[in-house]
Amino acid sequence: MSLSWIVLGQLESNESMSTSKKVITREEWERKLRDVKIKKEFMNKLVMNFLVTEGYVEAAEKFRIESGTEPDIDLATITDRMAVKKAVQSGNVQDAIEKVNDLNPEILDTNPQLYFHLQQQKLIELIRLGKVEEALEFAQDELAPRGEENQSFLEELERTVALLAFEDVKNCPYGELLDVSQRLKTASEVNAAILTSQSHEKDPKLPSLLKMLIWAQNQLDEKAIYPRINNLSTAMLEDPAI
Amino acid sequence: MSSQEAAVAAATPGLVDPMRLAARWRSAAEWRKVDEELDGEPEPSHLNTINSSGLFHIVSTDKLSVQYVGIHKHGHDVGTVQANCPAPTKRFAYYFEMTVKDAGVKGQVAIGFTTEHFKMRRQPGWEVNSFGYHGDDGYLYQGQGKGEIFGPKFTTGDVVGAGIIYASQKLFFTKNGTVVGTVSVSKDVKGPLYPTVAVHSPNEEVTVNFGKQPFEFELENFINEERKKQLAVVENQFLPPHLSHWIVRSYLLHYGYEDTLASLDIATESNPSLTKRTTVDEQTNMYALNHRKVLRQLIRNGDIDTAFQKLREWYPQVVQDEMSVICFLLHSQRFIEYIRAGHLEEAVMYGRAELARYFAVKAFANLLEDIAALLAYNEPAESCVSYLLEPPQREFVADAVNASVLSTNPNSTDSESCMYSTLEKLVRQLTVCTLDWRTLSGGQGEAFYLHRELRSRGGVKRSSAYSD
Repeated sequence: MSLSWIVLGQLESNESMSTSKKVITREEWERKLRDVKIKKEFMNKLVMNFLVTEGYVEAAEKFRIESGTEPDIDLATITDRMAVKKAVQSGNVQDAIEKVNDLNPEILDTNPQLYFHLQQQKLIELIRLGKVEEALEFAQDELAPRGEENQSFLEELERTVALLAFEDVKNCPYGELLDVSQRLKTASEVNAAILTSQSHEKDPKLPSLLKMLIWAQNQLDEKAIYPRINNLSTAMLEDPAI
Repeated sequence: MSSQEAAVAAATPGLVDPMRLAARWRSAAEWRKVDEELDGEPEPSHLNTINSSGLFHIVSTDKLSVQYVGIHKHGHDVGTVQANCPAPTKRFAYYFEMTVKDAGVKGQVAIGFTTEHFKMRRQPGWEVNSFGYHGDDGYLYQGQGKGEIFGPKFTTGDVVGAGIIYASQKLFFTKNGTVVGTVSVSKDVKGPLYPTVAVHSPNEEVTVNFGKQPFEFELENFINEERKKQLAVVENQFLPPHLSHWIVRSYLLHYGYEDTLASLDIATESNPSLTKRTTVDEQTNMYALNHRKVLRQLIRNGDIDTAFQKLREWYPQVVQDEMSVICFLLHSQRFIEYIRAGHLEEAVMYGRAELARYFAVKAFANLLEDIAALLAYNEPAESCVSYLLEPPQREFVADAVNASVLSTNPNSTDSESCMYSTLEKLVRQLTVCTLDWRTLSGGQGEAFYLHRELRSRGGVKRSSAYSD
């Protein structure tokens, strides 16, 4: 039996394994990519939506000038929103609450969970500063009544108050509440609530679109072998793995 | 690819072909046409009066009502009628309704879907490849004469509906505005599904609504809820942290939006995970950043003379060949700017001196014709070529210049990267993935189009307006 026979046999078996999937060559795929019609202004809008939702107000203003893209929200409201976010991030929770109420009192009125989390954050900040008496008073007067209304609030309140039982709070089991990440979490919750109150989506569109790409490629994998983009940050087209 | 674009591609074999960006400078009207044609499919509008059961029913002259005129002796004298065409498939969902005008003697009215060669003397659902929700028992029939318990019965005065959700391959049925049940479409069902209604005893009469009248059922709310279920799966995909940020940054670098980039970098300075990361990719994109920004500003402001002068000074190789695409686009834009300023005589002089030579190039013919046409109108801004005077045209020329400058980078590896930003490559990939997936899935479902995605904003608003 000659060698070429063996090679041929292998080829055949490879082929039968992949017959269920359509093979799309790189050339064919690139032609399809070129045929997609995309208007530049829509990509600009996507970028503007990102800058605005993430709160990059100066960048959004510059982008409006440089690209002529109109933002989908009044840029002045971003400044207010970012001021609230910044206040929470730097621990000035009372300041943040007042700013939210200046923006729109309905936000906290209609969102008891958010209001509770802000109060909880305020308590955390008091504990961080070692103001034990003030913290206890605040917890009893402001937070305990809310805990009675809602089981999950109560549990969170208990966890927070427990911080007071430890001298070395940083290393206690609830120490993570004192972490920056807790501030960021609360800040992003307020941020989302303000955006929703301005009938704007709370998340930018771009991350969803990127997730959609990952999902769409996985879906297509079941039916075809085609040039994928594995590294989204370079958008490099891989050769189809046949 | 249009014949124009094909001609362009053939005519300019160079490294970068800015004319390939041309799909962008379509006029607003042209773009609307493109948008309408995307996934445009015939939609059912009336009942089919040709493919008929024969003697057992009559269809009204408006082709929207059907009445039983047989005697009903057995199971092969049903009056079944299909819509004039199958349900469109290149979308998220399809839905239609019927009103039972008269349940007749036995109330054996039905609504459902059937395939092309369905026997019109049988109830939808009784035969393979068909589905029917029947009024006399409220059962669902799928592919056989025996039904299964499904929903309430329906009779005179009731409005029932039938729909398909392509993404989840489900059929759903409604009665008086409420979903009564859903059923998965078996994989064996081949071929397009026709909206179908049936009458089967004396005096039975139904009227169909293919969407010309408002539906009893809140279809939009339902679709939004179903869409959310699909999106939940998508949202679960893992994304590397801050990927969006880097992609936006690289977009700003690619197009030379330098001021925006600087502002963004200042805003993220304090965030350690977002501080500058210099990959090879970014270094390539940094190339000639300030020059590209200046050139874009000049073109956006209509100062083509200075842009030309700067290009000659900084990147002579780009404008060396007078017959190149980039020279053609810049001269064209200069001409347009004369028109915009109302300097018609200068425009004519400039056109003779600088544009006449391009008439020999077939690839430029279309744009040239449009540009020349500007002279024909008293009010060019109101004419059919007014798109040339709109900001996107300047942006298009600026993008073309940007791509050409990027191509002079000795470290630039491929022309695709001069043409397209990372963001654009990803959007193109996503679009093609969804289109190909649909092609391989019997042409069913929604494809991704960026402009539709952006337009849908606000469409998913919470609505409390449910009718009782």
